[in-house]
Amino acid sequence: MTQGTEAAVAFRGTVKTFGAVRAVDGIDLDIAPGETVALLGRNGAGKSTTISMLLGLNEPDAGTVRLFGAAPSDAVRAGRVGAMLQEARAVPRVTVRELVAFVAGRYPAPLPVTEALELAGITELAGRRVDRLSGGQTQRVRFAVALAGNPALIVLDEPTAALDVAARHAFWASMRGYARRGHTVLFSTHHLEEADAFADRILVVDRGRIIADGTGEQLRRAAGGSLVAVDLAGRDREGLALLPGVRSVEVRGGRALLRTDDSDATVIALAELGAIRGLEVAPASLDDAFLALTSRVPEAV
Amino acid sequence: MLDYIRLEVRRTLRDTGFVIGGIAMPVMMYLLFTNLGTDESGWKTGAMVGMAAYGAVGSALNTGGGVAEDRAIGWLRQLRVTPMPSHQVVLGRALTGSVTVLPAIVAVLAAGGLVNGVRLAVWQWAAIAVLLWLGSVPFTLLGLGNGYRLTGQTTGVANMVCNLGLAVIGGLWFPVTLFPGWLRTLSAYTPTGRFAQLGGSVAAGHAPTAGAVLVLGLWLLLFGSYAVLSYRRHAGNL
Repeated sequence: MTQGTEAAVAFRGTVKTFGAVRAVDGIDLDIAPGETVALLGRNGAGKSTTISMLLGLNEPDAGTVRLFGAAPSDAVRAGRVGAMLQEARAVPRVTVRELVAFVAGRYPAPLPVTEALELAGITELAGRRVDRLSGGQTQRVRFAVALAGNPALIVLDEPTAALDVAARHAFWASMRGYARRGHTVLFSTHHLEEADAFADRILVVDRGRIIADGTGEQLRRAAGGSLVAVDLAGRDREGLALLPGVRSVEVRGGRALLRTDDSDATVIALAELGAIRGLEVAPASLDDAFLALTSRVPEAV
Repeated sequence: MLDYIRLEVRRTLRDTGFVIGGIAMPVMMYLLFTNLGTDESGWKTGAMVGMAAYGAVGSALNTGGGVAEDRAIGWLRQLRVTPMPSHQVVLGRALTGSVTVLPAIVAVLAAGGLVNGVRLAVWQWAAIAVLLWLGSVPFTLLGLGNGYRLTGQTTGVANMVCNLGLAVIGGLWFPVTLFPGWLRTLSAYTPTGRFAQLGGSVAAGHAPTAGAVLVLGLWLLLFGSYAVLSYRRHAGNL
């Protein structure tokens, strides 16, 4: 088996429809072992359906999904996958340790239970009943359940939905600890900052398709480049829109804000005009990038 | 799979509703029914078997309630993304049901022997317990059928209706000799009536009748098919 070179996750022309809705509308995707990848999209963009097919919970209507070169259900059976599903609630009447130990015991080469609890940051909760924990604690128990088997691929469907800021930070600290061990991590989120801060690579999903694929930096650049700002100092704004790279010009309080695809060329042109006063160059925010990307496709509804 | 059964048995025994409704209730009802008014030793034995059967049926059906709950909270779905094969999950659940019927049977028999002074030979005690245990399998399957098909709340209601209806008509609460003729005839075809009859025959000192085994066998087939159909139809969206 060529485990080292085989893609951890491979989608080829994958389609899933529910009635008239094409929830997933032709996805091609490769994730290499060791990558931490975010699936970013609005609610209903097709993230959960993608994840369901990836875990073998749903069969695609067309195309294929392979995990480590095998069918998803076989990869799951072989213990190479751990998952934290969306909308799963606490399992009543078991303790944290009982639950994590039980799931670990299903896998061929699990983590020691103590280590799984430690990674998820719930060592002190081991003896507590799962149904008597707070929302943030429950979420970390579910994370411990996902990683207990020491799977090569861990899939987290909206892991931080409904968590407050502190719980979210604690959760991501745990997740990073696990990814650092060389495991492949795929998580879905609709929080841009999360995708940007914790993933090596972001896949933007919209209307069942992957519409962008790259690092946060690449997405920012692809979607709208940078923002160049200078003091107008009485200068006329008219010529600015014609400078190289510039897409749009906005004037606010005597400062011109130029959105540009090529900030270098814009700045050089500004310099040639002698227009550089209080120059600032900043990358466009990822929010801008996301909005720009997802609004390109016309509304279907 | 042993781990799974152990986990689920633990979860069931920690369920206060199960312990009260499935174990304490049959014992209390047995002691009440046999110590209010009548003081007849035959009824003490008959009611003991009836109430042990009633407790076993309740506990067996409760397995289905557990399945409905596990579906609702996503635990069955979570199990599907572990390496545990799904047939083991189903089988494990059914076997869990066959373990969790034991406390009710043992508790009511103990109340009969220790509190009500029912005297039987050792082989009779053992045979009654074993027969009630084996005979509860159709009811576990009925509960599983409900649990895979219905939502958590409807499963609870369906199980309660099945439990009370079958218990009363089957003569688990009151002896069938008190029933009018037509109801007595109907009672002979209920799974509960025949289930209790297994134990009743042994308590009377002879082997279970062929009729009891036959009728219960037919119900086993029926409830078994119901469970399989429910599971097949609804396994996809666990």
